[in-house]
Amino acid sequence: MILDIAHYLSILSTAIFMLTFTLVLILDRSVSHSTLLIKRSYSHAFLLFLISFLLYVYLALTDNFSVSYIAQHSNSLLPNFYKVTSIWSAHEGSMFLWIIFLSLWGFIFNLSTDRDLKVKNLSIGIISIIIVGFQLFLLITSNPFEVVLPFAPENGADINPVLQDPALAIHPPTLYLGYVGFVIPFAYALAFLINKDQSIEWEKKVKSWSVMAWVFLTIGISLGSWWAYYELGWGGYWFWDPVENVALMPWLAATAFLHSLSVASKSNVLRIWTLLLSIIVFSLSLFGAFIVRSGIIDSIHSFANDPQRGMYLLAFIAVILFVSLGLFASRLNMFESSKNIKALSKESFISLNNIFFGVLIFSTMMGITYPLIYELIYDQKISVGAPFYNAIYAPITILATMILVISIDSRWGRTIDTGRSFNMLYISLAMGLIGLSLIRYFAGDMSFIIMISFLMGLIIIFRYLILVVKNILEKKYINTPSVIAHTGLGLLILSISANSILSSEKVFNMKPNEVREFENIRIEFNDLELLNNSNHDSIKATFALDANGKSFYLSPEKRKYFARGQITSETAIKIMPMRDIYLTIGEQLEGGQWVVNVQLNYFIRFIWFSAAMMAFSGLLIISNIIRRKS
Amino acid sequence: MKVHRKKRLINILLLSLLSGSGVLMVLYALNSNLDYFFTPSELITEEISDNRRVKVGGMVLEGSVDRDNTTINFTITDYSETVDVSYTGIVPDLFKEGSGVVVLGYLNEGKLDAEKVLAKHDENYMPPALKEK
Repeated sequence: MILDIAHYLSILSTAIFMLTFTLVLILDRSVSHSTLLIKRSYSHAFLLFLISFLLYVYLALTDNFSVSYIAQHSNSLLPNFYKVTSIWSAHEGSMFLWIIFLSLWGFIFNLSTDRDLKVKNLSIGIISIIIVGFQLFLLITSNPFEVVLPFAPENGADINPVLQDPALAIHPPTLYLGYVGFVIPFAYALAFLINKDQSIEWEKKVKSWSVMAWVFLTIGISLGSWWAYYELGWGGYWFWDPVENVALMPWLAATAFLHSLSVASKSNVLRIWTLLLSIIVFSLSLFGAFIVRSGIIDSIHSFANDPQRGMYLLAFIAVILFVSLGLFASRLNMFESSKNIKALSKESFISLNNIFFGVLIFSTMMGITYPLIYELIYDQKISVGAPFYNAIYAPITILATMILVISIDSRWGRTIDTGRSFNMLYISLAMGLIGLSLIRYFAGDMSFIIMISFLMGLIIIFRYLILVVKNILEKKYINTPSVIAHTGLGLLILSISANSILSSEKVFNMKPNEVREFENIRIEFNDLELLNNSNHDSIKATFALDANGKSFYLSPEKRKYFARGQITSETAIKIMPMRDIYLTIGEQLEGGQWVVNVQLNYFIRFIWFSAAMMAFSGLLIISNIIRRKS
Repeated sequence: MKVHRKKRLINILLLSLLSGSGVLMVLYALNSNLDYFFTPSELITEEISDNRRVKVGGMVLEGSVDRDNTTINFTITDYSETVDVSYTGIVPDLFKEGSGVVVLGYLNEGKLDAEKVLAKHDENYMPPALKEK
């Protein structure tokens, strides 16, 4: 009964979103009463869809296993929290949530006030038709409302145990919020193009929306990385897996977009490029959905394969790209030939930055699609792994950061004052070189590229430090979000480099009561316990460790979950300021020995901390915008 | 030709030259960092140099798993040919005899020195190359 209501509400909502789109098409968009009608129509469609989703959450919470999807992914033994999160543990439910978020962004945008009624109404229309496209995808190819016939099973098949984790419960929603958030700048850019009035400063209007979506994307990607680190037991934070790469591409494009957005809104150049970027960012988000959903690429964590879904999404993306790029091309003449960009001005540096981002996106796209093309031509399966991405990302990032440190203190529309600014640069270079020699002294030999990375990371941090101190002394304005985000970048480069040269690991075979030594850490295998929990049994091994005079216990586990019979490993991690001690146990061998893996992961916390700094800088930008408005 | 046209032509030529060489560099980086995916049968017929990283997918042969201190030796099969693998470290939870596995590593006198052993996080997983057969 409730299921039917939820299903009907979703269908009804699709119809009303379609109606909203039609209203935008036929009504006079510049008058306020049609605006009101469009606004109400959208709100109703959204609220109906939201109610449908909430009913679905209720069904999951009350263990309604007559719903096929809930029966396949939930279980009555699950804690309530995971009954809810099981909704987005697989394809249909994730898609449901994805559209909820898509329409939620539109809903909030719909409530905001805007003097340019025409553009606003057009944007709502564009958002509505995109929602309709996804809702049809949901209802036709991935229906979460399907019923198990003829009888409901007694219990559900359970959520995959590796997904029963707080970080993974919030990771997909955050990531989705980021992906679909870029619908606002996309729709607004298209509306701006349709409307043909170049005096409207769309770049200023979409800024806070775009920054917010970027913040969600940044947090979402970091949460995924953090989860993979402690859950998968490999001890890495990034694997260059296709699924990670398709999240990274929109992030890179969005970062480039935010930079060019500030150029376009401050000095009226790069407007065309910024419009194109808004299309690229949203298309890359959709491309990510296509890659993950279609199962076209063999990834460690791809969803179930279904060619029909892939075809639908591919066609959908093709239509969106065709329409938006066609519109873009047909409106190229609406701009007066823009001013030239002055050499060594802030605009010129940001243009360079955009080129670097472009190269990274292009290379990543090649890395993802090349195996497909290669197999088609040579009938040989290949895969592209970390070595390729390292070979591209390291030098490009180094080049980009060189431009970054030169560009600090540059001005809009004016050539940089090389004398004053470069003195600061030389001081930071000297400090960086001193820092690098200290690092070399303590860390030993390292490759040239790592040395340069360390140096660039240090220079960025020192250069911004000098900037802050100097501007405080001279009582000048400090662009705090920019300082925080870029210092975060410097820290990210430093911690990735340090992590890659310092981290080490070793495998032991150990029996209880045996002792091993690794890098001056004493590891004693204390005991093994068997534990019975509500939905799994576990073997818990306890180790007493002694590192640099500190003693503590670590207890990695092996778990067996009842519902699926799946075995998982739980790592045990001792977090210290400079490094993690990371312990996992493998299988039991003959003679009562256990395979034990010890990893020392250096500066890994700083990697996520620097991502947090970037996300925080985004929040600062938004709060600044809001403060200025009120 | 007018001056500004000439300038524009030079700009366009420069731009295409730059982006063209950029694309070539990316392609070069791709080609020198590929991991080829083989089944055990393909591994035997192809000529593969020892310093080429390969991915081999197949099923773990029943009764082939043998542990020697922290090293684990096992055999991958595609039910027509086999290849021996040796790996040091913790194998994934889903690694067991008779189930699917993908190994990343270097060939050493016909034997595979594994860098990484992957078993898919799905009980029903089969390497795609095997599924087609």
